[in-house]
Amino acid sequence: MAHTSDVSVAEHDDGTGLKRSITGKQLFFYTLGDVLGSGIYVLIGLVAAAVGGAFWIAFAVGVSVAAITGTAYAELVTKYPQAAGSSLYVQKAFGNKALTFLVTVSFLAASFAASGSLAAGFASYFSELWAGPPALLVALVFVALLVLINYIGISESVVTNMVMTFVELSGLIIVLIIAAIHIGRGDADFETLTDISVSGNPALAVLAGVALSFFAMTGFENTANVAEETIDPHKAFPRSLVGGMIVAGTVYVLVSMAAALTVPTDELAKSEVALLEVVKQGILPFSTDLMVTIFTVIALVAITNTTLVTLVTQPRILYGMAREDVVPGVFAKIHPTRRSPWVGLLFSGLVVGALLIIGTLITEAGGKLDVVERLALVTVVFLLAIYALVIITCLKLRGQDEDERAFRANTPLLVVGLVGNLAILYWVIYDDPGSLLWCAGLLAVGGVLYLAEKLFGSRGTESTAGPLDREDREV
Amino acid sequence: MHVIVATDGSKQSLAAAKHLKAFADPAKITEVSVIAVIRPLAAVAFADELSEAEHQASWDSLSFREAAENAVAMIAATFDGWGPKVHQRVRSGSPANEIIKAAKQYDAGLVVVAAGGRGLSESVLVGSTAQRVQHYAPCPVLVVRPKPRPKKAKQS
Repeated sequence: MAHTSDVSVAEHDDGTGLKRSITGKQLFFYTLGDVLGSGIYVLIGLVAAAVGGAFWIAFAVGVSVAAITGTAYAELVTKYPQAAGSSLYVQKAFGNKALTFLVTVSFLAASFAASGSLAAGFASYFSELWAGPPALLVALVFVALLVLINYIGISESVVTNMVMTFVELSGLIIVLIIAAIHIGRGDADFETLTDISVSGNPALAVLAGVALSFFAMTGFENTANVAEETIDPHKAFPRSLVGGMIVAGTVYVLVSMAAALTVPTDELAKSEVALLEVVKQGILPFSTDLMVTIFTVIALVAITNTTLVTLVTQPRILYGMAREDVVPGVFAKIHPTRRSPWVGLLFSGLVVGALLIIGTLITEAGGKLDVVERLALVTVVFLLAIYALVIITCLKLRGQDEDERAFRANTPLLVVGLVGNLAILYWVIYDDPGSLLWCAGLLAVGGVLYLAEKLFGSRGTESTAGPLDREDREV
Repeated sequence: MHVIVATDGSKQSLAAAKHLKAFADPAKITEVSVIAVIRPLAAVAFADELSEAEHQASWDSLSFREAAENAVAMIAATFDGWGPKVHQRVRSGSPANEIIKAAKQYDAGLVVVAAGGRGLSESVLVGSTAQRVQHYAPCPVLVVRPKPRPKKAKQS
């Protein structure tokens, strides 16, 4: 059965250029779609609350730090164009299985928390369309539907992905147009843009906002998912990844300025659907009700697109880990018809659902908790730590596996990015130590899976590497 | 005649390849192209259930392309010494689309696919890829259904 030698002679479709299928343009939109949906719709109000009218500064800083981190990813992806992303880079740099495991589980946890935050945000916007069902139910149904969509695989079309990205962008452009009209009429008060209304140290206020705004930039690391299938990755990745982030960042800064100019800051801060408040100001010369509905739908599409990508990432990570025998082998089970890792998908859906339920229970019990904010911060804690580590990894792997085509990120910038990531991380933990509890809880999920594999996993091990008659054939 | 044998990394696709070999006349087949299609945006872009005992990918170097190449190599190996020239090809995109495109491109005379599902869908449905290939392929299509008893299917 050993045909290792055949691998090297495997012939690709070179005659047709179909060897890989993701073009630079598609990668650009994939990045943009990933980043744009994640957060600006959900948490612009929270950032406004943290900083005041000048909250665009928080976005500008968050976006810059994230974009710098993006250059480190771009460099590493061009060196190691494989789907594993951060875990692979850390393993290459440190060769320490425990650390790699920790990074992978953290990444998984970040992804769970992000899905939860997005689902809760989805429910907020949904209530604008139909206030009937309770938010928790909407969020849970939303997650269940996305799991189903991923199981069936209809979200896999690159074209669908591009269309959804355009829809996301259109919502933000509507906000910009409204602001432009507002400014054109001379109604805008530009002093708002320099107003840091929160009491205390303005720098700290901005830093608090940065931490939240950072959530809006996350998602770009998922582009490593398609690294293997990108045509000419050495050129496409730096351009599309960094380009996508710069475009997203610019849009964010403009949108946050637009929101600050059109809606009083305290109104933004109070709203769960802050961007919708911009539309509700009735500045556009046609039916506000209609615009509100259209905009709500756009926001829902945007959030859906990003959540879909995060929900794809989780079973993928679990699949890889199951094959490595660090989590039970069932996560490597592939549905015979759909070819999707259905156990992993189901499990991810359950964890995200549990996060939402726990969050809601705490709120109902009188705890002061905003599910969206809490889960966003938990995501940010994990990702900031991973991003910082990836930048270190990038610097450490300098001089290894380099060829002249590899993209090279600017070193001084990377150092700035590293300091930035760590500063924000420090602030988040200092400001909100409670998020560490949630982080620990999510990490424990990884720990439990690891234990389950070690204690009961002998069967799982066999099923991964075993003979032809594995039990999943009978599924 | 150029025959395309598609694989999704499943054992059924291996059974399909063996089925072709069991009845087809190698003298009438000039070339065999074994094709795997990677789905870049899927959670698991390609799952190789054929050769994983030898090539175990791991979480820090998860390579779906490697998995696809290994699966293709495993299928290709069944045609070793059979006669026709065997090509190993890996494409990426939507499986049905890519298989149909390949059939057009190589001017194929036959496409061999596995029917897909077992279990609930076994008697009711053919897998969506097989179904779409069947509908839109420019040439005859052999859809190999799983044998009723799985334990026999892989022994054969």
